[in-house]
Amino acid sequence: MRIDRKSWRDPLLLGTTVPLTLLMIVFFLVPLAMTGILSFQTTKYYRLIWTWDLATWRDVFGKPFYWTIMLRTVAMSLVCVVLSLAIAMPVAYALATRLGSLQRHVTILITFAFLTDAVLKTFGWILVLDKNGVLNWGLSYLGFGPQALNLLFTPSATMIGMVYNLAVYPMFTIYLSLVRIDRDLQLAAYDAGASRLRTFFEVTLPLSKPGLYAGAVLVFVLSLGAFLEPKVMGGGNSPMASELIRQSFETRVNWPLGAALTLVLIVIGALSLAISALVAMRRRRVASPA
Amino acid sequence: MMSDRTKSALVDTLLVGSVALLLAFFYVPIITLVVFSFTGSRMLTLPIETWSTEWYPALFAKGDFIPALKNSALIAAITTIFATVLGAAGAIAWIRFRFRLQTFFRALTFAPLLFPQLLLGVVMLLWFSVLGQWLGFTTGLASVVIGHIVYITPFTLVIVAVQVYGFDETLEDAARDAGASGWVVFREITLPLLWPGIFSAASFAFLLSWGNFYISYSLGGTIRTLPTFVYSGIAVGSSPIYPALATLNFIPALVLVVVADVVRRRAARRNRLAEPA
Repeated sequence: MRIDRKSWRDPLLLGTTVPLTLLMIVFFLVPLAMTGILSFQTTKYYRLIWTWDLATWRDVFGKPFYWTIMLRTVAMSLVCVVLSLAIAMPVAYALATRLGSLQRHVTILITFAFLTDAVLKTFGWILVLDKNGVLNWGLSYLGFGPQALNLLFTPSATMIGMVYNLAVYPMFTIYLSLVRIDRDLQLAAYDAGASRLRTFFEVTLPLSKPGLYAGAVLVFVLSLGAFLEPKVMGGGNSPMASELIRQSFETRVNWPLGAALTLVLIVIGALSLAISALVAMRRRRVASPA
Repeated sequence: MMSDRTKSALVDTLLVGSVALLLAFFYVPIITLVVFSFTGSRMLTLPIETWSTEWYPALFAKGDFIPALKNSALIAAITTIFATVLGAAGAIAWIRFRFRLQTFFRALTFAPLLFPQLLLGVVMLLWFSVLGQWLGFTTGLASVVIGHIVYITPFTLVIVAVQVYGFDETLEDAARDAGASGWVVFREITLPLLWPGIFSAASFAFLLSWGNFYISYSLGGTIRTLPTFVYSGIAVGSSPIYPALATLNFIPALVLVVVADVVRRRAARRNRLAEPA
């Protein structure tokens, strides 16, 4: 593939970059800056007052109520990462190595499930997890007691929903790093007498780590903003940060508070991105001899 | 001790089994909705004793989802056009060009993909609210469309970028050598070769917009789309018209995913034929 050096005077470069850049600056970067500015304002009688004040930030860091919910959000996100990777790794590996001609059909089925309306799928899960729902019916059919599982409106239900909606992302990133592995490296390991298991752990797994890291960070960051699952499947019993943010807008009409809480989540997400980028860079330096 | 052959057969079974389990997991809520849309009772519980198709006419007789359906279609159509054009143009700049500030361009156009949709929606809502105070702008169809374009364009960009990455420029050179003008080269060579990527990007854009909840919910104001309509409906109580609505709602995704695959396969076959043996 050829790459052309372009100067900013080139109309082709202007045409391909400027509209998109403008869109992202005006409706993504500026809103982010505005969120930062708003977090230092205050409200009075449900109206925004333009001052510079640290009151909101003192609240956010001072009240244990906010800490509890933020910590719960991070904890849920971490569990979601572990479960999503545990599901994504074998599936991506099978997709890349075992399925052959079936692979296309499986990919279509996964894509279809990913692209259908999330609210409807969440509603479907309610019908499955309900006390009188599909899951308990199936369990009693198999001989377990009536209403063996009471999952709906518990944190477990929230977790099922989050993993359901996010596991597809690491599947994709891991698959991409697996298909890029040079097959000769694995064959060389076999030639050197390594078993398949040993080859997997010493060649395939280390080489698929970029996909694992990327998938993990993506799931972590995206699950920080989970709202539908804790609200609809978890029944709002153990709210996550998203519920707090929504309430600060809708119930309390407190923009500065909503802005500050949003920024806390964005910073947590950005930090996790930065850490994973650092780890990835250090690994690359170790891997390539000077 | 197991022989190596039984061991590897076991590993194969486990791996293929994991795919089967995953598909079961992914399709549990979808199949549940389709099955319940044909129940003969008002209760959405198993076992289903009588079957009926009454909920489909009931859904249309009630008709309260029609405005939401119209909004969803309009928003998805506009979003698809803008996200696909902007994403395809951006993808060419991402992969084929080197220029000053490219790192900034890449970060800026990729970042919304790494943002939880809820936060993207909130951040934009704050901006629109401030704009509203200054300019009298209110949230509605326009803000939803802008929100969808910002969120979806990074997806279309990545999908087209994959196609640009595997692009063979010697075909463009050959056309140019044969005397074709820049526009003719673009129309006859570049576009047809990128078409499968652009088409699947457009399908993705349409479906991501069609099923989008978070951004429509944050930026919609009083405007309802199908997902926000269903969200407020199931909060009130569940009736079999929602499974019926869900089943109908799955159809566009099914059609587009299948058509996209056919387009991709035909293009792959054509590229194979074009290659010298």
